[in-house]
Amino acid sequence: MSIKGVWATHRNAIIVTVSTLVILFPIVYSAASSILIQTPTPFLELPDEKYQECVKDKEYMRFHHMDLLKEIREEFVRYGNRGDVSLGSCRGCHTSRQRFCDRCHNSVSLSLDCFGCHYYPEPDTAS
Amino acid sequence: MDRRKFLKASGILLSGTACAPGLPLLTGCSSTRADRERTLSKYKWGMVINLEKCRPDCDACMVACRKENNVAFHGDKRWDVHWIRKVNVREKDSPDTAGKPVPLLCNHCEDPPCAQVCPVQATYKRDDGIVIVDHHRCIGCRYCVIACPYNARYFNYKENPDWPNKEYPKRSHGVAESCNFCAHLLDQGKKPACVEACDKINAKALCHGDLNDPDSEVSKLISSNPVKRLREDLGTEPKVYYIGL
Repeated sequence: MSIKGVWATHRNAIIVTVSTLVILFPIVYSAASSILIQTPTPFLELPDEKYQECVKDKEYMRFHHMDLLKEIREEFVRYGNRGDVSLGSCRGCHTSRQRFCDRCHNSVSLSLDCFGCHYYPEPDTAS
Repeated sequence: MDRRKFLKASGILLSGTACAPGLPLLTGCSSTRADRERTLSKYKWGMVINLEKCRPDCDACMVACRKENNVAFHGDKRWDVHWIRKVNVREKDSPDTAGKPVPLLCNHCEDPPCAQVCPVQATYKRDDGIVIVDHHRCIGCRYCVIACPYNARYFNYKENPDWPNKEYPKRSHGVAESCNFCAHLLDQGKKPACVEACDKINAKALCHGDLNDPDSEVSKLISSNPVKRLREDLGTEPKVYYIGL
């Protein structure tokens, strides 16, 4: 059977198969790449042993710390309510910005502009 | 149950579950926000500047302000930012006379032109009357700098090289700013840095307080002295009063 013959008899089947493959390719590709290529989770430096609890639980902070910071900011800047928590109070436990904030944000290519204006010191490396 | 009733009931159930997460927005938050606004709107901050007591060669208020609020100083007048500055005012007809030093700062207008023109509501009037900039929102369009009739607003053309007060944020390049009566100190129950500095050198030319309270020092000064405000004809209702202008 010639190519022309196959095309003539199975035209619809070929079109459906090819278009299904094209449509599913990105989904399959991303799913496969996420399984096959293991990206290492960035190691965040945990605070000192004596600080066991954050202001909210770990899972909340992991995914929603930016929402919390925005909420605090709105409260303070717009309504003058300085709560117990602020960006400044983070550095009480998480002493190093480079080994805490930057390590994660760098690995997901997020650039932070908090620290252009807000002070977050690096701990004295000599001590 | 027939098909029609079943569909109706499931529709109501589904829309109910979809709306439920929004309920706290309508009930819980609004009441707390109103409470917060009430605490601020108790006050109406204002300032009285006694020019008879202000010393001609003194710059204590300016230095204190720079130190407290990390105001940029580059040594070049194109880029320098002033939250409070002193201008020597002389008579138009006799320019050779000594002149009078007048401290100028944001007048915290009751009807602020800068807040009206701000396209992103970064500049706004707080409930205690302080005109303040939310630098997170500022897009650096400089409309407010143009709109202010007192030239009290400045733009950060450059990054501030110094950071004297680490507890207070500085401003990055590309945002507008002006005096905010040291709102962070007022919230803690302290006085603005310039007033503190003026009291320290015993000049006591600057006086800051609550205009709502008839027994406060500022209210008494305003009622017992002939006071003037800058460009009252504009109708912006400034809250900085001058004695002896």
